[in-house]
Amino acid sequence: MSNAAHHDQDDLRLLRESVRTLLERAGGVARARKIRDEDGGWDAPVMTELAKAGVFGAAVPEEAGGLGMGLAAAGIIAEEVGRVIAPEPVVASVGLAIGLLRRLCPAHALLTEALAGTTVLATAWQERDAKGLSDTLSSRFENGALTGTKSWVAGVAVASGILVLVEAGGGPALALVEPGGKGVSIDKRRQSDGSILAELHLSGAPAELLAEGPAVAKALEAAISDTTALTAAELVGVSAKALEITLDYIKTREQFDKPIGSFQVIQHRAADMHVMREVAEAGVRDALGLMDATETPRLRARQASRAKARACTTARKITREAIQLHGAVGYTDEFDIGLYLNRALVLSAWLGDDVYHRRLWLNARNAEEAAE
Amino acid sequence: MIDYNAMSDADFRRQVRQFFETEYPEELRNLSHRPKFAEIEHWHRKLHAKGWVAPAWPAEYGGMGLNAAKLLIFYEEQQRWGVVRGRDMGVQMVGPLIIKFGTDAQKAYWLPRILSCEDIWCQGYSEPGAGSDLANLRTNAVIDGDEFVINGQKIWTTMAHDSTHIFMLVRTDPKAPKKQQGISFILVPMDQPGVEVRTITTLAGETEFCEVFFNDARTPCENLVGELNKGWTMAKSLLSFERVFIGAPNLAQNALGQLETYARGAGRFDDPVFRDRFAEVALDVEDHAALYARFADQLKRGEPLGADVSMLKIWVTETFQKITELMIEAAGPDGGTLGPLQVGNAGVDVLAAFYKARPTTIYGGSNEIQRNILSKAVLGLPG
Ligand SMILES: Cc1cc2nc3c(=O)[nH]c(=O)nc-3n(C[C@H](O)[C@H](O)[C@H](O)COP(=O)(O)OP(=O)(O)OC[C@H]3O[C@@H](n4cnc5c(N)ncnc54)[C@H](O)[C@@H]3O)c2cc1C
Repeated sequence: MSNAAHHDQDDLRLLRESVRTLLERAGGVARARKIRDEDGGWDAPVMTELAKAGVFGAAVPEEAGGLGMGLAAAGIIAEEVGRVIAPEPVVASVGLAIGLLRRLCPAHALLTEALAGTTVLATAWQERDAKGLSDTLSSRFENGALTGTKSWVAGVAVASGILVLVEAGGGPALALVEPGGKGVSIDKRRQSDGSILAELHLSGAPAELLAEGPAVAKALEAAISDTTALTAAELVGVSAKALEITLDYIKTREQFDKPIGSFQVIQHRAADMHVMREVAEAGVRDALGLMDATETPRLRARQASRAKARACTTARKITREAIQLHGAVGYTDEFDIGLYLNRALVLSAWLGDDVYHRRLWLNARNAEEAAE
Repeated sequence: MIDYNAMSDADFRRQVRQFFETEYPEELRNLSHRPKFAEIEHWHRKLHAKGWVAPAWPAEYGGMGLNAAKLLIFYEEQQRWGVVRGRDMGVQMVGPLIIKFGTDAQKAYWLPRILSCEDIWCQGYSEPGAGSDLANLRTNAVIDGDEFVINGQKIWTTMAHDSTHIFMLVRTDPKAPKKQQGISFILVPMDQPGVEVRTITTLAGETEFCEVFFNDARTPCENLVGELNKGWTMAKSLLSFERVFIGAPNLAQNALGQLETYARGAGRFDDPVFRDRFAEVALDVEDHAALYARFADQLKRGEPLGADVSMLKIWVTETFQKITELMIEAAGPDGGTLGPLQVGNAGVDVLAAFYKARPTTIYGGSNEIQRNILSKAVLGLPG
């Protein structure tokens, strides 16, 4: 198995530079605003450019057609995606769609297409009950068709296929449906960043069964851990850029005949944000590195929760403080800083917020200690 | 004319409550956005017919003439029933100033028009270079015959796009030795070629505030309120009133109610961590109300408020923000979703509450500025 430890820091630095250049050249954060105002989708050409830069295969083992650079590399990419709020579903593709396909059906043509950025797949695994996220699975695969309702499905509006987690003959299964197909109806819910989360209603939707049995549960657990940790990295990027924008602002905005950044209370708050960001970056990168070094699901899940908990807390603090230090301009849609706040809201809610992950982390830690 | 102050508190409360419960339009209860006048006009007409548009104004000017105790009851009942604040910059801000500093002719002309909403007002203080440092304002007014000619720009003017008039602070003596001198308070009609309004979209996606540009805009000299170049002290004299208003428990209490509705519907009270956090913010609200009551008593006794009133605003706005963060937390995977979230048979718009809470620590004197005031004027710290 190859992992990030085998790649030196130079490789990661080069990867970061190439992704940053690509995303800046594509339009930077202005593109996020433009796409939000249009339809909340993404740019297909940017998808394929990202694929050419190795973005989708970075964390995929070499034997499965990837670069074998591990989550450490995927985390670097996710940070860059966060910095410009790139609307392409990079983390969801890498962590979920590609993560599931390469573990469950590595020979399927879909994996090759997903790695090439030519096919974008949404993943629908969660279901809702009266209290929120349900622990049980009620959607079914029977006679070649799917029935049930999946919730919080990201990217479904523009995806060419949806990977759906269902029950089939007493065990979990992964099936593929077409978003526009028969028996599929999509209820779109707009998020604060303009993206869409959908409720996916399936009533006898024809589907292709991709995999079934215990391997599906195992692959899903691994894919969720990866995606959680990579979302944390994306939030680190969001926080870092929000802080940079804020530092620039407080250096130049003058009130009382001096830059507001010269007031000591503002300086201390900037210093606090800087420390938080550094701690988050160190913690999240460490967690990704540790995940690369182990195959044990519980250890990986624990690190993923550690990363997401830290990243959510940090992003919340920094994006809120950023608005405050901007004053009224921070409350407008005309300045980019608000885009970062709205993005942080969505990424924090996605796959569990800090409170949720602190709980999971503690459970995992206690379970490990009990096992020792 | 009814002397409400002679009624017992209980009788007065009953009467106010009954009026809201029977007359207030159901569709306007607990609005989550700031309405344009047309949307609430039918309610305003009822309030106007009843003579209840301006609870704090003296009865001789068409107000209810309420003393501080009755006024608080009125606001509490308004809050309890989810009654909209309405387009009240005229009643809350420019009216009291005209009553205190205006000429008889100004009172006779403007006050009835404020009550009827024939004129709808917005507040033109802030400018791009004059936010916390308001005295730095540059928009100027020059006397030309019997008119002021105004040039410059105001910004963050709430609801300017739905207003007929703007009350503003302008520089009338650019040579005054101090920034605070040479500022005047004038009333300006907005329906004229020299005034241009551009709306600004907030990060919640609403158009609530505006930029207002003045390009040789004109207003008659008789629209100067108070003395020329003395506008700063006049405007300041209204600030302590504004700070009790803005430090009132309403917004936080309302958000706490929404949090509770959501959390009950979504079964969050089964979670001990959530219970603790809920209790924490509920107590933050309750104890703030006790502190607020102390200031309210001071007002009731007719005593002036000191700089320490700043603490009300700091506490309540930050509590409001904490509550809305907890709403997001309670919403879990729906925490980034816009619009009302359905729980049981209630709908709670979590993000609308969150967005509403954000600027409360910025406007009305930012919380940093309030802390500066507390540390210097109340604690006597050097510097
Ligand atoms: C929703 C909303 C509605 C508004 N409606 C109106 C309206 O109707 N009419 C109107 O005239 N204005 C209105 N305002 C403007 C409001 O009064 C200003 O936003 C406020 O005065 C702060 O000014 P600013 O936004 O320029 O921020 P700045 O003054 O630029 O402040 C930026 C940051 O620096 C901090 N800061 C500034 N000075 C100091 C200092 N000395 N020490 C420490 N920290 C400092 C501030 O606290 C803030 O965090 C509104 C604002 C908002 C957000």
